[in-house]
Amino acid sequence: MSNWVEIKVKTTTEAIEAVSNIFYEAGVAGVVIEDPKIYLRPKDQSEWDYLDIPEGLDFEVAQVTGYLPEDSSLAERTQVIKERINQLPNYGLDIGKGEIAVTTISEDNWGEAWKKYYKPTHIGKNIVIKPSWEEYKPKTDEEVVIELDPGMAFGTGTHETTMLCLEILEEYIKTGYTVIDVGCGSGILSIACGKLGAKKVLAIDKDENAVKVANENIKRNNLDKCVKAIKGDKLQGIDFKADIIVANIIADVVIDITKDAGFCLKEGGFFISSGIIKDRKLSVIEALEKNGFDVIQQFEKGEWVALVSAQASISR
Amino acid sequence: MAKKVISVVKLQIPAGKATPAPPVGPALGPTGINIMNFCKEFNEKTAHQAGLIIPVELTVYQDRSFSFILKTPPASVLLKKAAGLEKASGEPNKSKVGKVSKKDIEEIAKLKMVDLNADTLEAAMRMIEGTARSMGIVVE
Repeated sequence: MSNWVEIKVKTTTEAIEAVSNIFYEAGVAGVVIEDPKIYLRPKDQSEWDYLDIPEGLDFEVAQVTGYLPEDSSLAERTQVIKERINQLPNYGLDIGKGEIAVTTISEDNWGEAWKKYYKPTHIGKNIVIKPSWEEYKPKTDEEVVIELDPGMAFGTGTHETTMLCLEILEEYIKTGYTVIDVGCGSGILSIACGKLGAKKVLAIDKDENAVKVANENIKRNNLDKCVKAIKGDKLQGIDFKADIIVANIIADVVIDITKDAGFCLKEGGFFISSGIIKDRKLSVIEALEKNGFDVIQQFEKGEWVALVSAQASISR
Repeated sequence: MAKKVISVVKLQIPAGKATPAPPVGPALGPTGINIMNFCKEFNEKTAHQAGLIIPVELTVYQDRSFSFILKTPPASVLLKKAAGLEKASGEPNKSKVGKVSKKDIEEIAKLKMVDLNADTLEAAMRMIEGTARSMGIVVE
């Protein structure tokens, strides 16, 4: 785990953009801006129904925060940031207090914070996603409980796109099926397939950390005999034909995968594509049809769409 | 049902590349929202702008659901574009690296006025002009 240094600058609304620029020049990946004046905007410019303005909020103090990894160049970079902020009044900007606070934070602070809000979730007919740190007793024999610690990987089961996939898989997976899960993230979908009776599941992700997290979760669910996560780029180099391919990523990547999906699908198999924002649905359908698929079912939740397709020659 | 806001967080992060690493994690961790969900949605909506830094205003509601709005690029990015620069000056007091006109400043100020929370166009222009000069860009 690497440590980070948080550099918090107390300034004014006027100097926010200039302070942000100083951070970028020093190499931060992004900044956090706290501008109390945001709460003073006329209501018709925002989407809020109701807001409690924090008590004692000082409207004259804006904060810009940047983060740098703790390494050998840190002291020098911090010094440059301080000097340049103190020079801002020379360029006609009011820096207000201009106070700069530097604190070291450890990586797991934020990785854990949201966990306390993450509880066992029921999805579809019988699927239950149980965070590994929570206690849960199944309410019926039919319940399929997936134990999960998503770590920093995508796929917590609470996002609409993941829920859609789980509901579809619950309907489509039959005992003995083989599955390829492209962009597996935490491994949630692969594990669900294993629990629903698939005999072999290949989970692929391009992110090494996701592969590691997925394999830990697979083991946690005692599925390491039939489910395996590997590092890979979409379906490239995959020499395996499955009954179901599931890809819960984003529209552009899904479109890319449609080209190879046919080669990795058994006759009569299904391609489940998800992570598609509504605006992009038609371009995904177009790509599917161009690559010999017919969309046989469409599912929607919130802003998101999931599509089930079959190879055209089979579905006709 | 009224959606009650518990906090509004403003971030500037690279398009298509949000991860739970700083600044996203430390900024959103305390709000209790699912950071991965935010990253996924942000990356999906900004994938086509890869290479740019995108300001985003995130509203967190009491039930820990959230919504966000993407904003126009940071003033420094717009200024570099107007001046035809790749990089701003590291020593703005000594080395001037480019110039923009008063009209450029006014245009950027108009574009960013709402995001900057400036009360008047003059105030917005003062912010943009000061930012320009702090980057070693001369305003003519």
